[in-house]
Amino acid sequence: MTTVIDEDRLSDTFAALANSTRRAILAHLAEGSATVNELAEPFQMTLPAVSKHIKVLERAGLVTRGHHAQYRPCALDAEPLQQVSTWAEQYRPVWEARFDRMDDYIKQLRPRRKDRR
Amino acid sequence: MAEGPGAQDAVVIERILDAPVDLIWSMWTASEHFKGWYGPTGASIPVAKMDVRVGGTRLVCMEMETPNGTMQMWFTGEYREVVEPQRLVYTESMCDEHANILSPADMGMPEGHPTTTEIIVELEDLGGRTKMVMTHVGIPEGSPGAAGWTMAFDKLALYVEAQNYEASDRS
Repeated sequence: MTTVIDEDRLSDTFAALANSTRRAILAHLAEGSATVNELAEPFQMTLPAVSKHIKVLERAGLVTRGHHAQYRPCALDAEPLQQVSTWAEQYRPVWEARFDRMDDYIKQLRPRRKDRR
Repeated sequence: MAEGPGAQDAVVIERILDAPVDLIWSMWTASEHFKGWYGPTGASIPVAKMDVRVGGTRLVCMEMETPNGTMQMWFTGEYREVVEPQRLVYTESMCDEHANILSPADMGMPEGHPTTTEIIVELEDLGGRTKMVMTHVGIPEGSPGAAGWTMAFDKLALYVEAQNYEASDRS
């Protein structure tokens, strides 16, 4: 079986991580499950605002919600993180972006090179 | 997911570039050209010392403005194979400005990031155009674990933010 990284899933994961509140929520959940109320405590934010962040994390598959009564504790799901935490997969988008820039740079260079000749 | 250790320890990227092979070679080996494309958008490469011969060393500094101020990252390595204009192999490690090698863990990289990686560039002349295959390999010293996550998140987030700026610049 070959290793296939789901690009869309990876984009969702990156997008979900691109926010300091959401990273703080994940850091909290890394220590154990917590309710929305508990997660909201450290932030000067309304519960609905915190809930929104949690929904983004849920969509990215980083957080799962339990079914216990109205508390529905949140838990960390590390699986999408394992995809992004291999160093090689972190480097791939870096190199892809670099080569896009190399392409652009070469295009910019061309008229100048003609001038010199 | 990976089927075992080593499964994801390489990045291989193939590109066809619309430029002669000599120019693509100089993209990697001439400091002025390397500075033109290597750094991420919003970053600059104030230092790119390259002694391109087998056993020669390299030292590259990447400077980036972040919400927390200017961030500098230094990289050093050695040229292992230099076959102009076909094949270039060099190593890369994170270091300080004096080229003292730092461990990836010290730099906040996730566990499993190897201290030294190797970059292999293979170029093929397609008659005015060039096929480029870049392979970036390394041997992880440990498996990815929870300890490295938090810092990795910050780096990933910086990357995503940089991408978003890039996207909005273009529109």
